[in-house]
This record gives sequence, C-alpha cells and structure tokens, in this order.
Amino acid sequence: MLGINDPWILLGYGLSIGLVLACVVYGLMNWNKGGD
Amino acid sequence: MAVNSLILIAVTAIYVAVMFYLGWLGYKKTKTSEDYMVAGREAHPVIIALSYGATFISTSAIVGFGGQAANLGMGLIWLTVLNIGLGILLAFVIFGKKTREIGQRLKAVTFPDLLGKIYQSQFMQVVTGLIIIVGMPLYTAAVLIGGAQFIRETTSVSYSTSLLGFALIVAVYVIFGGLIAVMYTDAVQGAIMLVGMTILLVATYLLLGGVNAANSSLTAMAPLVPENLAKGGMTGWTTMPVFGSSIWLTVITTLVLGVGIGVLAQPQLVVRFMTAKNNKSLNRAVLIGGPFILMMTGVAFTVGALTNVYFYQTLGKIAVQAAPGGNVDTIIPLFINQALPEWFVVLFMVTLLAAAMSTLSSLFHTMGTALICDLWGRGRKCALSMRANQVGVLIMIIASVIIAFLMPGSIIAIATAMFMGLCASAFLPVFAVAVYAKRPDLTAAKASLITGAVVWFIWALFINTRYASVYGLCKALTGKASLLGLPWAAVDPLVIALPLSVVVIVILQFYADRKNEKIVQLSPAVQ
Repeated sequence: MLGINDPWILLGYGLSIGLVLACVVYGLMNWNKGGD
Repeated sequence: MAVNSLILIAVTAIYVAVMFYLGWLGYKKTKTSEDYMVAGREAHPVIIALSYGATFISTSAIVGFGGQAANLGMGLIWLTVLNIGLGILLAFVIFGKKTREIGQRLKAVTFPDLLGKIYQSQFMQVVTGLIIIVGMPLYTAAVLIGGAQFIRETTSVSYSTSLLGFALIVAVYVIFGGLIAVMYTDAVQGAIMLVGMTILLVATYLLLGGVNAANSSLTAMAPLVPENLAKGGMTGWTTMPVFGSSIWLTVITTLVLGVGIGVLAQPQLVVRFMTAKNNKSLNRAVLIGGPFILMMTGVAFTVGALTNVYFYQTLGKIAVQAAPGGNVDTIIPLFINQALPEWFVVLFMVTLLAAAMSTLSSLFHTMGTALICDLWGRGRKCALSMRANQVGVLIMIIASVIIAFLMPGSIIAIATAMFMGLCASAFLPVFAVAVYAKRPDLTAAKASLITGAVVWFIWALFINTRYASVYGLCKALTGKASLLGLPWAAVDPLVIALPLSVVVIVILQFYADRKNEKIVQLSPAVQ
C-alpha cells in the first residue's frame, strides 16, 4: 500500500494517525471540562 | 550551497528581533519568583501545547533522528507512535492533571522540588537535581551541535561562531524573561516549525514524483543496504529490521523505547503541566499537541528515509554514503541544501533555529533552577531568589557550550536517547507513585531512584557498546568494547534499568502500604 509492503511499517503509520485522531477527539470532548 | 547572504541576514534578523521582543514581554510580565519559575501558573492552553511540543522536539529529533531514519529506515515511525501515545495522550491525561493539582497545592516550582515536597525529603530533591545537572548538559550540547551544524552547512558562518551566537541569543531571553519568555518564544517557534515541516513533507514527495512513486523507489532500493547493516539485520528502508537482530535492538530499545518512554519523565516537560491554570487548559492542549508531534517526528522520519531516493537518483549513492565522512547528522542539512529551493533553505534554517532554541531555552531554565533552587538553596528562602536563579542559568549555559565543543560528531540522536533513558530509569517510577499513590513511601522512592540511576550508568558504561564507546571507560579499564557480547551489547540501558526500578518501588511501596494498614488497624484512635 502506498509503495510500502511491510505490515509493521504500515501499522506504525496507521497507529500514529489513529492516536492523533484520539488526541483531537479527547480535546474536543473535554473542551469545557476541568475548569474549576 | 550557501544561500544569498543578504536574504539570510534579513530573515534571521527579523526572527531574532521577534524573539527578543517576546523575551522583553516575558521580562515585563515577570514580577515574582513564581512567574520566573512556573510562568505564574496561568499559561494559555495553546501556549502550553506549542511550548510542550516545541520543547519536546529539537534539532535532535529533526536532524539527529531524521539522519538515523536515513540510515536505518522507516521503522523509526514506531517512535512517533510512542511520542503521541505516551508523550501526549498519557503524559497530559494521566500524569499532567495530577502533576498540576499537586504542584499547585504544594507550591512546587521545579520537578525536583515537586518530588522533594511530595516525599517530604530533601534527599529526593537533591538527587533529582543532581541527575539533571549531570545528565542534561549532554542533551543540551547535542541540541546546540544540531543547530550549529546546519548553520555551518547553510551559511559561511563558522561552526564555533554559530554555536556561540545562538546560545547567546537564547541565554539573553531565558536569563531575563524566565519561563514566561521561554513559553512565549516557544509558541511562536512551534508555529514556525509546523509550517516548515509541513512544507518539507509536501516538497519532498513532489520532488520524488508523489507518495506512491517515492515510497516504491525506496522499497526497490532494499538490495543497496550496506553490507555491515545487512549483517546487523537491516532489510531495507521501508521494512523493519530482522526481529531480535542487533539493528532491531538498537532501533527498538534505544531509539524507540529510550526516547518514547523517556519523554514521560523529562523535568523540563513536567514543569509545563505546573504552568496550567486548571485541567481545562491541559484538556485543550491535547488537541493541539497530538497533531503537532505527528507533523514533527512523523515528517522527520519519513523524509529522512526518503533522502536515500534523492541521493541515489542524483549521485548514485545512498544517503549515508553521500554524507561527508558518513556522519548521519549531516544528511538532512545536506538534503535540504542540495534538493530544495533557496527560499525553503532559508525557511528551514529558521525552522531549525526555532526547534533548537525552543528546546535549549527550557533546558537552560531547568538546569539553572535545578542548580540554584534544588541544590544550592534547597528548602531555604534564597532558593526562590530570581537573581540567584538567573546566575544559575548562566553557569549551566556556559557548561553546556563547553561540552558541545568537546563532543564528537554523529552524536545527536545517541546523546538524546541517553538522557531520556536515564530520566525514565531514575525518575519515572518515582514520579508515577508520587502522583498516584495515597501515601508515597520515601524508602521505596529512594531505593527505586538509586536502582534506576546506578543500573542505567553501569549498563551504559560497560555493556551497551554505543554508549560505552562515548565514555571510553570500559575500553580503558578492560580493553574490551563491552563486558557482554550480543545481543546484550545492543540492548539499551533503559530496558534493564527501568523494569528493575519499577520492581523495587512496587515491592517496597506494597510493603509500606501493608505496614500502614496494620498501624491504622491497631490504632485506638480510629477504632
């Protein structure tokens, strides 16, 4: 896929992007929590 | 290629002027020692996120680890996984909030001060401060070298002048502006880095014919892996090394785990949590921190590996063969200078200056406050003297610059992994128990801190050949590069020292909790 054949490398890229999405979702879901 | 000196001088002058202006703003806002040490505990979430990210990512990540990716391939992407998963998500959500709450309650102003106050122990404060004073100048020197090497490659300014020049610029705004100036400048530097690295990724793929074509070309280069690396287990630049081979152990234990776990217990990053006004600031910072780190390390490791395609297509050589003297730290600067247009060379120089300065400023600040607040003045009123801490910062800057002139080449990534591994081995278990245990036990913490640090040093000095060769002590005493053969000689000290320090603190903390329970049960006051 995308010129890379090693599943471990592809998994590394996939996890990196997945974790970034998790950061964005976490930030948005807790945007107004923890203020006091 | 040396770029047009007039453009370069103009851009650099504007950049430095902006940094001095932000430093001056920090100076004006710094009224109390708490302002100088923890930015008044009122930092904005965007500034926290960018400051954390820009401090985390230095020239070491871009030039040093980018060069390692050019040498060893895209397997380093697993460090990006840990950088985001542990360095942002776990760090902010699990450690950050607790650290902020406890730091604010105990009025802690540095990482050693935080541990000292939680464990109610000067020993913890002093030993933590001492490890910072001994280990951090090495990492600081590596960041200084990374910046100076690129300036030398890009301009006609000599290595020593550029190293001294940008150390001096950072010194001025850190000494006078304290952590407020550090975080203001970090935020702008982080934004510059984001722009520079985004353009670098797009420009590299455009240059090499698109994502598919570039990656396929790199995959097809697998037969060109140098013989010594192939013997060590390397199989190509878009594949992982052979599981368990010496190169796999180096990539996974030193570069991925050493830095990936090490970031959790970095004193200069932990302080960022203590600058937040409330947990809402930290929640919001996560949203910016994750994408920022992906665009820094993910891009550096991808572009680093792809430089092989460029050098092979233009020079018929792989990247490490094109680098002067085979120095992997010169690969990224060489690629930028040869492959990309002049305007981007200037932008990338500012990007690297920003990456170096944003990390250096925090390291200078952390080392200076460790020297004065935690070692010299510990527990006394003078520990918080702003003037004394300014002198401390100056002393540690001078020490770091001297070390930078003494350190050998190709050292950037190794020196970074060393410091981060040492921090994780010595501090991480103690820090985790400090923020999460009901009654953190001092004996358990002392034993864990000493076990982690001592085992790390023994393994680094006598077993791991990469580290042992830097110190030269093993060779001098025994005549051998390492006391143990492969695979142990390729295993990072962190992999041995951290589990041991975890086991020590878990057993002793469990024992202390049991003892406390018995005391509570026997106490007539609570019956």
